[in-house]
Amino acid sequence: MKKIASRTLSILGRLLASKGSALALIFLVGITLAAIFADFLPLNPVGQKLANALKGPSATNWFGTDELGRDILSRVIFGARTSLVTAGGAVMIAALVGVPIGLVAGFFGGWRDAALMRFVDVLLALPAILFAMAMIAVLGRSQAAALIAVGLTGIPSFARITRAQVLTLRKRDFVTAVEAFGGTATYNMFRTILPNSWSPIFVQVVVLCSVAILLEAALSFLGVGVPPPTPSWGEMLRTGKSYLHEAPYYAVLPGIVLTLTILSFDVLGRALSGLLEGHRDPVIAPRGEGATP
Amino acid sequence: MIGFVLRRLLQLAPVLLLASTAIWAMIYAVPGGPIGAIAGDNANPEQIAAATAQFGLDRPVLVQYADWLWNAIRGDFGISIRGRAPVLQLIGERLPATLQLAVAATIVSLVIGIPVAIASALRPGSWLDRVLSGWSALALGVPTFWLGILLILVFAVELRWLPSASAYVPIWENPIGALRNLALPALTLGIYVSGILARFLRASLVSELRADYVRTARSKGLPERQIVGVHILRNALLPFITIVGLMMANFIGGAVVTEAVFTYPGIGRLLIQAISTRDYPLIQGCIVIILVLYIAINLAVDVLYAYIDPRIEL
Repeated sequence: MKKIASRTLSILGRLLASKGSALALIFLVGITLAAIFADFLPLNPVGQKLANALKGPSATNWFGTDELGRDILSRVIFGARTSLVTAGGAVMIAALVGVPIGLVAGFFGGWRDAALMRFVDVLLALPAILFAMAMIAVLGRSQAAALIAVGLTGIPSFARITRAQVLTLRKRDFVTAVEAFGGTATYNMFRTILPNSWSPIFVQVVVLCSVAILLEAALSFLGVGVPPPTPSWGEMLRTGKSYLHEAPYYAVLPGIVLTLTILSFDVLGRALSGLLEGHRDPVIAPRGEGATP
Repeated sequence: MIGFVLRRLLQLAPVLLLASTAIWAMIYAVPGGPIGAIAGDNANPEQIAAATAQFGLDRPVLVQYADWLWNAIRGDFGISIRGRAPVLQLIGERLPATLQLAVAATIVSLVIGIPVAIASALRPGSWLDRVLSGWSALALGVPTFWLGILLILVFAVELRWLPSASAYVPIWENPIGALRNLALPALTLGIYVSGILARFLRASLVSELRADYVRTARSKGLPERQIVGVHILRNALLPFITIVGLMMANFIGGAVVTEAVFTYPGIGRLLIQAISTRDYPLIQGCIVIILVLYIAINLAVDVLYAYIDPRIEL
């Protein structure tokens, strides 16, 4: 445990040493804290004051007000909660399903590998945004549906990365040693191989966070994501787009926060990939415009 | 050549079949089933019975599936519930718009992506390389719908040069009008993709620059321009074709968001409308058609690739 803590600290230290990833980390920590403690901040994302509608940024409303006179900054911060929870949940689903698929496919090979990877191919057959939309058409529009839909689109990347990692470890001596001593396949997969595969999986978690936030925002922008009145960044851009003439800040300011969040996760993912795996660019296949939409 | 195409088709057929089965099954599993959507939520039992009989939903599941699949293979996806028109006809009306946008966006992404990649690959690690790599990261990280909004703000709201909502104007009928309408959506999609292309091409150029034939060419005293333009680019562009093809394929379905930003009447907007009105035959039809095009473009890329690069066995 102590070893893990010191390793985490050393990685953290090296991340903070680079200007780009330090900024990204600070931004993400800031926005996460704001989202967690939003209830304790002097914010009001639902209070409507029609007389105050579509007023530009001011001392009381830093980001201005929307078409119902609600404070946009409050909605951006509460929207961060929606975005982070949906993206985090989606990445968790993707990892919890994708990693075991990759483990089994890579460890056993043969027909299990073929069957599981064909399943993954089917998930990849459509651009992520279309797949998510089709899922939401079936599940109905809700935050849970958005979370599941985005999560399913992330399964292939976890499955592939884990499988690739397993294939490089499968014939290593410490794995065959466990086999020789009669360790079961399950033990070998989860206790021997998995602990040695954390680096690429962790990098993928961070990279996929940026993809999931983008995808969730895109779904909300299309009007099929998290339903109103829950504040969400995509929904704000969608409504803000109708007021480009009267209130350009309405769509621009939440968009800046959304973009910075996505970029921060991306910068952090690439920095981690460099630190943990020794190369600069993680290889993620671009999918759709939202992947990477 | 024909054998190669047939082999690829045989490999692709199961994916297409599985995916379309999944789409059919997903819609079939909708709570309330397709019948709820057809007859409406407030239908009385007689209406439900009539609709069930009319659409053949009282038959065994497997018979319904086989029937759907057989019709789908022949291009018949049924009648749109809301539009009251054949699904294929509705899609056919929208497809040219999406294809025109896809071609325009691909051209934009190449025009931006190739020079950026060459400029940064020639001096790896220089300030120019770092600026251009930053540009690629930015192009990839900025959500297309926000970029689209910014472009509308600048070019339509402030400068009033271009329309904020883009109509579909066939380019052979009115080239100027078509370009005016295409400029912003194509730029939005193209900038995003140029980031991917630039990153990819830069990597493959940098590795080609270290190849032996480059050293030979340099020692022969060939001018740098000729080495880069003739020798390296030709080799580096080969894998690039695959990426461009993948991008084209992605545009067909992935342009949903861009089409929504500019209210462009493509197949993506049709799909969003279908989802919001729960028009299940139309949803199925749109997704299957997008899937078929996606796979067809991938196949075309494979064939083209094999044709250009004699090292790949046909």
